Amino acid sequence: MATVTLTNVVKRFGVFEVVHGASMDIKDGEFVVFVGPSGCGKSTLLRMIAGLEDISGGEIAIGGKVVNDVEAADRGIAMVFQSYALYPHMSVEQNLSFGLRMTGNPKADTERRVKRAAEILRISELMDRRPKKLSGGQRQRVAIGRAIVREPQVFLFDEPLSNLDAELRVQMRVEISRLHKELGTTMIYVTHDQTEAMTLADRIVVMRAGHIEQIGQPLDLYDNPDNQFVAGFVGSPKMNFIKGRVVGHDAPGVVVELAGQEKTRITQPLTGTAPEIGSPKIGSKVIVGVRPEHFGNAGEGDADLVVAIDVIEHLGGTSFLYARTANGDDVVIQRDAAKVPDTSEITVSIRKSYLFDEKGLRLR
Amino acid sequence: MRNRNATAYRFLTPYLLIFAIFWVWPIISSFMISFQATRTVPWRFAPSFNWGRLIGDPAFFNALKNTLLILVIQVPVMISLALVMAVLLNSPLLKARGLYRFAFFAPVVVGEVAYSAVFRLMFNLDFGIINKLLNSVGLPKIDWFSNVTPAMALIMIAVTWRWAGYNAIILLAGMQSIPEDVYEAATLDRVSKLKQFFYITLPLLKPVIVFCLVLSIIGTMQLFTEPFLITERGGPGGGTETLGLLLYRQGFRSLNFGYASAVAYTMAGLAIAITLAQLWLTREPK
Repeated sequence: MATVTLTNVVKRFGVFEVVHGASMDIKDGEFVVFVGPSGCGKSTLLRMIAGLEDISGGEIAIGGKVVNDVEAADRGIAMVFQSYALYPHMSVEQNLSFGLRMTGNPKADTERRVKRAAEILRISELMDRRPKKLSGGQRQRVAIGRAIVREPQVFLFDEPLSNLDAELRVQMRVEISRLHKELGTTMIYVTHDQTEAMTLADRIVVMRAGHIEQIGQPLDLYDNPDNQFVAGFVGSPKMNFIKGRVVGHDAPGVVVELAGQEKTRITQPLTGTAPEIGSPKIGSKVIVGVRPEHFGNAGEGDADLVVAIDVIEHLGGTSFLYARTANGDDVVIQRDAAKVPDTSEITVSIRKSYLFDEKGLRLR
Repeated sequence: MRNRNATAYRFLTPYLLIFAIFWVWPIISSFMISFQATRTVPWRFAPSFNWGRLIGDPAFFNALKNTLLILVIQVPVMISLALVMAVLLNSPLLKARGLYRFAFFAPVVVGEVAYSAVFRLMFNLDFGIINKLLNSVGLPKIDWFSNVTPAMALIMIAVTWRWAGYNAIILLAGMQSIPEDVYEAATLDRVSKLKQFFYITLPLLKPVIVFCLVLSIIGTMQLFTEPFLITERGGPGGGTETLGLLLYRQGFRSLNFGYASAVAYTMAGLAIAITLAQLWLTREPK
């Protein structure tokens, strides 16, 4: 087990900078998930921690020791790859023991570690099979097993579940969570799936275009996003964004009028806005963020809003209403299945909202 | 459906006719000819005339010995060399990779007569560059064309020069199909680059290596151009005569088609037998 510290880590491919000064402290035994859309640099950052990519700038420390110039093999990490990266010509047992055998680890110890990993992952009965004779989930277990036998200080997972079907993904997600509890080892996990991030992580690192947008516990990010990107990325269905305009000040907040709905005014208290952002001036454009579950029945919340319903998705206990505001902003509204309206236009109220400036920074 | 098949076959007919006349029929015909005494007029059926001669013919065994010698020495050397070349070509450190790939492949597209002539000049006793180089490092000149061992070595060198690059390109394609993350996983498993080559690259490349070996075995069994052109029809004194050359000598110089056909079928049979043995030895364990 070890801490992982990133200090202003930069990655450049030629003239292109793909990671722009990432810094974070990962605690001993913590499960941290890097999440973000494709191409945001999360896998590159993981590979830099692994030592599979050179670092163009900054510093990476594992267990307090700077590892910038330490070979990948000597960093005390183990990695599970998206494609599993199993040795196709070896049996499961050989896959698990290969690294230990090649480095001259005592035979008895190798056998003990392989047996333990197989028991933890429940693959003991598959030991003589080759990877091509295994299902996707079994291959993933072997790949994780190969990481376990190394008894690493840090586990790295690079989108390990993205090749599995939805059902298996849920199952493996639970298994990885269980594994973390069992081993207590520091784990860094990369995914583009915010559901995986929310369910697995102690802390989530949200990335976009090589920048870290926000680091925090899953519910912190959900309840208290720093910007419009994080607010939109965390949560499913994503947060709704409705254009608005500041029409007045109401200490300690502002009054916002929604675009195209002159009668819909929201009073938003602003107590913690960073000084550099300042309080928005009257007339300035803002974006109001509302999560699908924060729409209530007319009159229940701060302000009422008339929307035209396009499509209704019934998911059993819950339904999602896909609708448009008078201004043309798309919104998704969550409702109990029993309370789905049968009219094409309804009035909903906004029970809770978030305010962002034109650049997408949170006003609070 | 039957109509569609008939239409397809009508389109295929010109090709199938040519294939039957110039491919299938000669194969059948030569098999039948191998059972006939073709030194008499008219030809007569005499199974032991050619096949019987084959068993006791010193020229056949000399050609067989030469062919197998080249097979046993040259093919492994060439494939090993091709493997080394493929590893170098696959190195991320190599610049101008395309240029090297072309250079290694070029010998295959050079005309056989042209390259044989160049080899004859290069290995010439008096003014060849090879002997000059040997002399310059204090070694005696070698008469490559008058002694059996150097002549045989020359044939092997020429064949290796011509086909090593070709095999290297095939092996390179095989190497590039091995996923990079398998090596990354091995690196994180603390497996050295050398061990990665022996324990990952070679086993995963085995089907491609076997493919190259099979191609090379078939090619060597048919070896003709080099001993014909470089060492002047299998010289010195039949020292580099191969089965292909014996077939040519019997069939087209002595016009003994029956015996040439028997030699041809023996060559094909040997190539099949060696290839099958090769495939059996390198089969995947279940």
